[in-house]
Amino acid sequence: MSESETASQNRKFEIEFEPVGRRAVTGAGSTLLSAAQEVGVQLVAVCGGIGICGSCRVRCMEGSLAPTEPEEEVEFTAEELSDGWRLACRARALSDVKLDIPSTSLATAQRLQLEGATTSDSSEPSVTAYQVEVEPPGLYDLRPDWERVEAALFQEQVMPRASSVHVVQHVCDRMREMSWKGRVIVRGERGAEEIVTVLPTDVPMLGLAFDIGTTKIAGYLVDLDTLQTVSRAGVVNPQIAFGEDVVSRIACANRERRLETQLRSRLAEALNELARQLTTGSGNAATRVVDAVVVGNTAMHHFFAGLSVRQLGEAPYVPVTCSSLSEPARDLGLDLSPGTTVYLPPNIAGYVGSDHVSALLAGDILSREGRVVVLDIGTNTEISLKIADRLISCSCASGPAFEGAHIQDGMRALPGAIEHVRLSGGALHVQTVDSDRPVGICGSGILDVVASMLEAGIIDRRGRFYATHPRVRSRDGELEFLLVPAEAAGHGRDIVVTSKDVVEIQLAKGAVRAGIEILCSTAGIKSSEIDTLVVAGAFGTYLDAKSAMTVGMFPRLSEDRIEQIGNAAGTGAIRMLCSASERRKAQLIAERAEYVELTTHPDFADVFTDRLFFELVRNQGVDSDARTRDVSGANARAAATDQRPSTEMQ
Amino acid sequence: MTTLLKELFDATVDGDRETVLTTVAQALETGEEPGVILNEGLIAAMAEVGARFERAEFYVPEMLIAARAMQAGLAVLQPHLVAAKVKKVGTVIAGTVKGDLHDIGKNLVSMMLEGAGFEIIDLGTDVPPEKFVEAVRESSPDLLAMSALLTTTMPGMKLTVEALRAAGVRNGVKIMVGGAPLTQRYADEIGADGYAADASKAVRLAKSLVA
Repeated sequence: MSESETASQNRKFEIEFEPVGRRAVTGAGSTLLSAAQEVGVQLVAVCGGIGICGSCRVRCMEGSLAPTEPEEEVEFTAEELSDGWRLACRARALSDVKLDIPSTSLATAQRLQLEGATTSDSSEPSVTAYQVEVEPPGLYDLRPDWERVEAALFQEQVMPRASSVHVVQHVCDRMREMSWKGRVIVRGERGAEEIVTVLPTDVPMLGLAFDIGTTKIAGYLVDLDTLQTVSRAGVVNPQIAFGEDVVSRIACANRERRLETQLRSRLAEALNELARQLTTGSGNAATRVVDAVVVGNTAMHHFFAGLSVRQLGEAPYVPVTCSSLSEPARDLGLDLSPGTTVYLPPNIAGYVGSDHVSALLAGDILSREGRVVVLDIGTNTEISLKIADRLISCSCASGPAFEGAHIQDGMRALPGAIEHVRLSGGALHVQTVDSDRPVGICGSGILDVVASMLEAGIIDRRGRFYATHPRVRSRDGELEFLLVPAEAAGHGRDIVVTSKDVVEIQLAKGAVRAGIEILCSTAGIKSSEIDTLVVAGAFGTYLDAKSAMTVGMFPRLSEDRIEQIGNAAGTGAIRMLCSASERRKAQLIAERAEYVELTTHPDFADVFTDRLFFELVRNQGVDSDARTRDVSGANARAAATDQRPSTEMQ
Repeated sequence: MTTLLKELFDATVDGDRETVLTTVAQALETGEEPGVILNEGLIAAMAEVGARFERAEFYVPEMLIAARAMQAGLAVLQPHLVAAKVKKVGTVIAGTVKGDLHDIGKNLVSMMLEGAGFEIIDLGTDVPPEKFVEAVRESSPDLLAMSALLTTTMPGMKLTVEALRAAGVRNGVKIMVGGAPLTQRYADEIGADGYAADASKAVRLAKSLVA
């Protein structure tokens, strides 16, 4: 090594990671990947950073890097290289550099997204605090306690409406305890305010946002003075004990009044428990929570709000109400401050709930230009298309395959779950959650596996295995693919992908794609004309958009048109907690939404059937502009390659 | 089998709707008997699809696509079959029960039954018990096939069986049920004559019930 090289190795450079917004200072000798790892920017590195899997693609926007290495020349086309594309595990900085990380190279888009999500442009919480100090009663001032507080607020030009007796008693008790000084929390618009509670002078106003999912409930604690998310936590939805999916829980509630009551109270208990965890964790108490927002699918919304769920289980699956609700926390069984009101944003339909409205809000659907699709993939997938002034929504039953259910070696995204799979040079590389030894496959992993098997020619257009492939074997008459052999697995058993697993993915992706196609045809556009595809939700965060396109779940779009925005329902709920104007936007979204019922849509079954098979496209990677792609040519190639399997099968 | 019928057979198994349509039309043009086209082309092909399904070579996607191709061919053939008075294996009234709008499963079973030579009277989805009763009275079918995809709508099957009994038409018809949340036990409980877990088993069940 020459002297000048040694000198440059000692130099420090600043690496800026966008759109994450993090910076790392690194020596010239270390790779961009290790710089990313040092500052917690979680790039996907399926092969562990040895330059063979091509998953840590980044683009250099500014600055200079050491010359490309052979692995990079294999991974990228000459055009991509001249555009600045590099592998983070190979490239080293020669100056300060600015990198753009595509969402597909980022493992933790969700968490990072959430950090920045609370700061909305014009935040004005629904509650206001007034520092109040009143004279104690004396022989010459015989006004009652409550009127004393009212008089003090009057000086701030606040004229509160009558409050419930609980609030009156609580506020007066607290004022006496706190020597007649405190922060009186008031809710509502000028002239129609209501007193919520009173807090000690140095205590922040706290708000809670909840996202009630069928499987998980997420809670967020927000400091409403600073509008910062203080902490977050999740619990399993205790209703799971009554049924795995929404419909079986509705059936359970229908059976007996007692069960219906239990389903409701278990939900409130879980929210109380979360509220306790979140507040005590930050040295507070749930009774200091002065505002709350709860979002969920329509069934969860109805259970929580105390509305009847029976009609959600029967055609035409109409909710009791889609309107937004503001209910006293105490009436909903929540132990927050005595005057706290819980805001429940509007629903769109029986199977498109306030959680989707919240996700649309977080995806800034109303202010986006062009043709925008927002989708949240789960057991039920909600999809909306915004085009000009129209907003069209639908829901499709995609099944629990992406949650790891109905997949032989499927599991949730827990340590050891295979979350990404990359095919490179004929070999498969797996990446697991927490880099533990693999024990199963979670949703994003199974999607990658199927995409990789398609690309590698291990399965055909119909989803059937080529029996001649060395890793395909037969067990009990069914073909399966050996993904991880027992010796490499954490539990000492083979991890396989069965024919049935592939079918589950075909059914799920077919349903999602059919939903997208029907929305597009309703709006009179082609799915290839979508300008932005916004993917929300936990699975949506971790899925590889390229794999989703390879299997045909998403239409083929250039990668820069796909955005993965993380747990958008939670983010939207936080926004509504921080700002009354966001609540008005949610209202507008729900009012504008036109709902399309897919089960009775004349084209659904046909489109769904059409989308069950895969499209084989031999050129790997994504066309920069799908609109100009020769679709007929691609189909012809697919048809040609399809001749092979049937002869081998027989 | 003629080359044309072999081609129809292969196209049906492959789910190639376009080829099915052209070969059915060609076979009719060349003067092939409609009953032979049905039996050797479409019905034989669907039997092959069912057999492959049971050997785990075919799964629901292939079955759906093959059934759809078969149905397209059958639609072209239908008027010729009527004109030639080709006899049906049996008549089936099919429907998804009240409160349930899901029809992909029901349609697949209907298509597979059609592909086995049954005549299908499809009442659609969200079918109340009275409508099933009325249809049974009107057409005296051999079989009544009910589908439900939701746990919440399954009870509609029990109500329908009871309504048929109350109307005095229960004994004249065999009842088969199916759908994701169903079990043999539930079928027994509500007094149905049979339950099938998938479309291929439904065909076998239907054949055994009318035998």
